[in-house]
Amino acid sequence: MLSRLVFASANALKGSGPLGAGLVQASRSLHTSSQSLAPLPPLPETGGKVRHGIFPEELFQLLYPKTGVTGPYMLGTGLLVYLLSKELYVINHETFVAASIGAVFIYVVKKFGPSVAAYADKINEEKVAKAQEVKDQAIASYTQDIEDEKKEQWRVEGRSMLFDAKRNNVAMLLETNYRERLHMVTNEVKRRLDYQIALQDLHRRMEQEHMVNWVEKNVIGSITPQQEKQSIAKCITDLKALAKATQVKATT
Amino acid sequence: MAGRRVAVKAIDWLAFAERVPPNQKSMFNALKTRSDAIAAKLASLPETPVVIDWNKYRKAVALPGMVDEFEKKFSALTIPEPVDTQTSRINAQEAEANQSALAYIEQSKARVALYEKQLDKFKNMIPFDQMTIEDLNEAFPETKLDKVKHPYWPHKPISEL
Repeated sequence: MLSRLVFASANALKGSGPLGAGLVQASRSLHTSSQSLAPLPPLPETGGKVRHGIFPEELFQLLYPKTGVTGPYMLGTGLLVYLLSKELYVINHETFVAASIGAVFIYVVKKFGPSVAAYADKINEEKVAKAQEVKDQAIASYTQDIEDEKKEQWRVEGRSMLFDAKRNNVAMLLETNYRERLHMVTNEVKRRLDYQIALQDLHRRMEQEHMVNWVEKNVIGSITPQQEKQSIAKCITDLKALAKATQVKATT
Repeated sequence: MAGRRVAVKAIDWLAFAERVPPNQKSMFNALKTRSDAIAAKLASLPETPVVIDWNKYRKAVALPGMVDEFEKKFSALTIPEPVDTQTSRINAQEAEANQSALAYIEQSKARVALYEKQLDKFKNMIPFDQMTIEDLNEAFPETKLDKVKHPYWPHKPISEL
């Protein structure tokens, strides 16, 4: 009953978390034994509807077909008047105490109920949010891990490329080696033949020079002094003739 | 001087690089630089050697039989192809790697199955709004309060509140 009071006047209680759970669980554990396997239906969002904070709506609905809208009110007034007039309920000082306490209580609940309810909801929501965050993080990390594992599997598939690269390297090295050998052989043969040719050329040049030197020496040696004088005299006469010729040319 | 070897297989270095895990990148780079150096060296050598012009030498060299002798010996000469010692080792390595790769993939699949099971558990959980404390303890066993060890509220050491 008290829970319904709080529910109705607060009007803001959203999550019927541990509070509702505890109370409703008490009633449920009566019905369900430990062998029951059916999943429990979810808890209702709000409590039963009440009018004026105390009287359940079902009473009004019950009396409506027979007595209309004012039925339950007439019933209530009639009961109250009956109790007072027959002195089944005696008015004494306790009545005033009860009335004052009731008034204060109703005022306080109406005034501060919503804020208290909001505060309680906030605490509950923080807990739920934390749990939700944990759950979301877990889901995200598992999804990520599954992705990573799939990626690693894909990576492993590329292992043949490594060995292809290695085999390529080996083949290339062998080919390089072979070509180097070929080139070396050809170059060596060429070098030897070129050496022969160079040797021959050297020989011929040396012979030529030697021959020329020898001929020169001999010719110079064979010029006798008498021949030298004759050739010098001839040179002088030739020069004189040339000089005369040029003089003649200069004057004309 | 004939004799072509097995043709070099074209390697897609970009695709290869994608598949290398980050902790092996340096090894991959070393391999690539080595391979590139070898390929460059190979490309720098011409395929056939320079042809020797025998007739020119025959006219030039005075010694009568020399050029003919050289020519005969030269054409008779065949250079042996270098022996391939490493390919078998590489093939053995590849077989080994395939084995270990298969084992790794098996383990990886087992891990994936585990993760998927956990993921399903989380995905199929009741939303927190509709959970009771018992449901919470079932889903997350670590939230269960040990009422035997700590019989009085709050059923856990004060330091853990």
